[in-house]
Formats: sequence, structure tokens, C-alpha cells
Amino acid sequence: MTQTKLPGDRDMWIMVLGDMTVFAGYFVVYMLYRSWNHQEFLVAQQHLNITIGVVNTVVLVTSSWLVARSVQATRAGDIEQALALVLSGGVGGVLFMVLKGYEWASKITAGHTNSDMFYSFYYVITGVHLVHVLIGLIVLGVVVRELRNPARRRAQMVEIGATYWHMVDLLWVIIFALFYVMR
Amino acid sequence: MTTTNNRDVQWMTWFFPAWYAVFGVIICLLTRVTPPPRPDVTAVDKVAFFAQHHTTIQIGFVLLLILLGGAALTNGLVCYQIKRMSVGSVFAYGYIGGMSVGALPGFLLVTVCFLTAAYRPDRNPELISLLYDLGMLSYNGSLGCFTAAYLVLAIAILYDRNEVFPKWFAYVSIWQIITEVIATQMFVFPSGPFAWNGSIAFWLAVVVFSIWLGALIMLLRAAAAKEAAQ
Repeated sequence: MTQTKLPGDRDMWIMVLGDMTVFAGYFVVYMLYRSWNHQEFLVAQQHLNITIGVVNTVVLVTSSWLVARSVQATRAGDIEQALALVLSGGVGGVLFMVLKGYEWASKITAGHTNSDMFYSFYYVITGVHLVHVLIGLIVLGVVVRELRNPARRRAQMVEIGATYWHMVDLLWVIIFALFYVMR
Repeated sequence: MTTTNNRDVQWMTWFFPAWYAVFGVIICLLTRVTPPPRPDVTAVDKVAFFAQHHTTIQIGFVLLLILLGGAALTNGLVCYQIKRMSVGSVFAYGYIGGMSVGALPGFLLVTVCFLTAAYRPDRNPELISLLYDLGMLSYNGSLGCFTAAYLVLAIAILYDRNEVFPKWFAYVSIWQIITEVIATQMFVFPSGPFAWNGSIAFWLAVVVFSIWLGALIMLLRAAAAKEAAQ
């Protein structure tokens, strides 16, 4: 029998599964209120800019792909390449936050504030997700620091960071589907 | 193998769940602030709430005034374990300070508001209504005040090399931050999922808090037992 190893560590997997359970709670409550106020939610949803949503999805998925390649580069011992990939993955995260900030600002100035039920969900859930992106950038920063230090360089640390970063990506794809796409 | 005499610490690991059990009885069964009374009711309903629970509110909150210092002892136990970590005392003091900031609006202000409302039941209903809102907003809306303490705890655990607490508990503390920050929404929503009795702003935070507290009780016992064996 071949021994399979869990990428990263057990603690980060507890984080990811638990965090996704909390988000699942948010999504269930959102879906319940959506089904109770279907027409109202549909009208409010029309004002979301789906182009920014699509661009942000592509940005985050690309960023996730870069970080995944960084794990492979670290395992292969190509630290220079791994560092460059993690840093460019982080740039994707920053870009996501800038676009989201612009989107929030344009929605608020257009009068779509949290006095509307749909937008109260939108701001809270995308806001909580944004905090996760910020935490992810800190995590990627820790990965960069460890990769730069030959004494602390471990593939496991890059795997831990990548595990978290993929969760941020996965959660965004669900948020994108629930808020922007679903009719 | 040498053994450390930490009997006082082991005693505190029993006091910790005992205090929270008494606290739970006070807030759930006596003072009725958890589960929270509705925010979307009229002044007449609020007066009726105080009339119905007049005696238990007085007993419960007077009891809490006496026992509130016990919260400082439970925080002291966590402080003690943070000081055993390799990160230095600053985090331990940060935790104590952060928890104290939350205790003022989270426990004391609601206690004074509800006891004042119960003190003169024949007061103008609008004033009773104000005390009801003020008490509940302060009690549940202040959840975000504890986030600095959770952040300090999470960072201390992640940096610690003495393995006092497992790393996953740092992540559970981060969920605490996330769910309790949403409590700020209670100040703008009188009903729905983000109100002070809302499914997202309140109940999800309570579920995560219960998991956090349960885990902390077990981990404090494990840490004390491990210290005794060292």
C-alpha cells in the first residue's frame, strides 16, 4: 500500500474545513433570504457589475495557479522560481482587493448601500472574504520570508500557504456564483 | 522525569469551566439577555419584557456584579499559559487588556442598564425602551471589542515554539475575530440576519464562540497537565 501524505499540515486543514463550514452558514442564510425576497434580490442584483466580477475571478484563479506552481517549484528545489511565483500570486491578491475596493466605492456612490437587503449581504459576505484575502497576503508574506531563509526553507510551509490561498479562491468562486450569476 | 508542582494552575482549569457555567445560567436563565429579546418590538413590549422578568433580572445581574471579577481570573489563566510560550509577556498583557476592554460594554453596561430599568418599572415607557436598546446593543454589539484579544492570542500561538497550545486553536481564534466583527452590523439593522438577534450577526458568532470556549477549556487542562509532567 502506498503511503499518501497530507499536503501542508493538519492544523491548516482544520482551518480550511472549519472556515468553509462558517461560510456555508452564511451562504445558507443568504439563500433563505433570497428565496423569501426573490424579486427584490433579482432587481438589486442587476446593478452588480458582472465584468468586474469575472475579471476578479480570473485574477484570483490565476493567482491560485501561480501559488500552486510555486509549491511544485519548491519541491523541485528551484527556490528562485518559487519565490517569484509566490510574489506574483500575492500581486494577484492585491489586484483583487483594489478591484473590490473600486467596486464597493462605485456601488456606495450609486446609492446601493446596506439599507437594501441584497446589498447588506453583499457587503458583509464580500467584506468577510476580503478579510480572508488580507490574511492570505500575510500568509504568503510568511511563505516568502521562510523561502528566503535557507535555514527555515521547507516545502511544507509553502504547501500550508497554498492550501489557505486555494480556499480563498474557492470561496470567491462560490460568492461569484451566488451573487453575480444566479438568477 | 521531574514534576512541576502547579496544583494552583490545575485548580484554575476547573474554576474556568465552572465560572462560565454560572455565567451561562445567569445570562440564559435569569437575566434573559441570551437568547436575545427581539429588537423589532414596541416600547410597550419592552416594558412587558421587564415586568415579566423583573425578579430574575435583578437576581441575575446583582449576582453577575459580584461574580464578574471571576472573568478576570479565567483570563489570568490564559495569560499564564501565554507567558509560558516563547513569544514573551507582551502578548499575555495584550490579551488581558483586550478582554478587559470588551468586558466593560459587554457585561457592565448591560448590567447597569437592565438593573436601572428594573429599578423603577413605572418609569416613562420610552425611557425603559431606551435602556432596553442601550443594554442589548452594548451587550451584543460589543462583540467586536474582544477581537484584539483573539488576534493577540492567535499570533502568540502561531509564533510560539514551546507548543503550549496547538496551532489549530490559533485558527479557531481567527474565526472568532471574523464572526464577531460582523456584530458591528447590529447598530444599523433593527431586524433580519444582521440584527442583534440575527442568524449571521448573532447566532453564527455564538456557535463559533461555543466551539472556541469548549476547545479552550480542554486545551487549558491539557497544557496544565503537560506542565505538571515536565
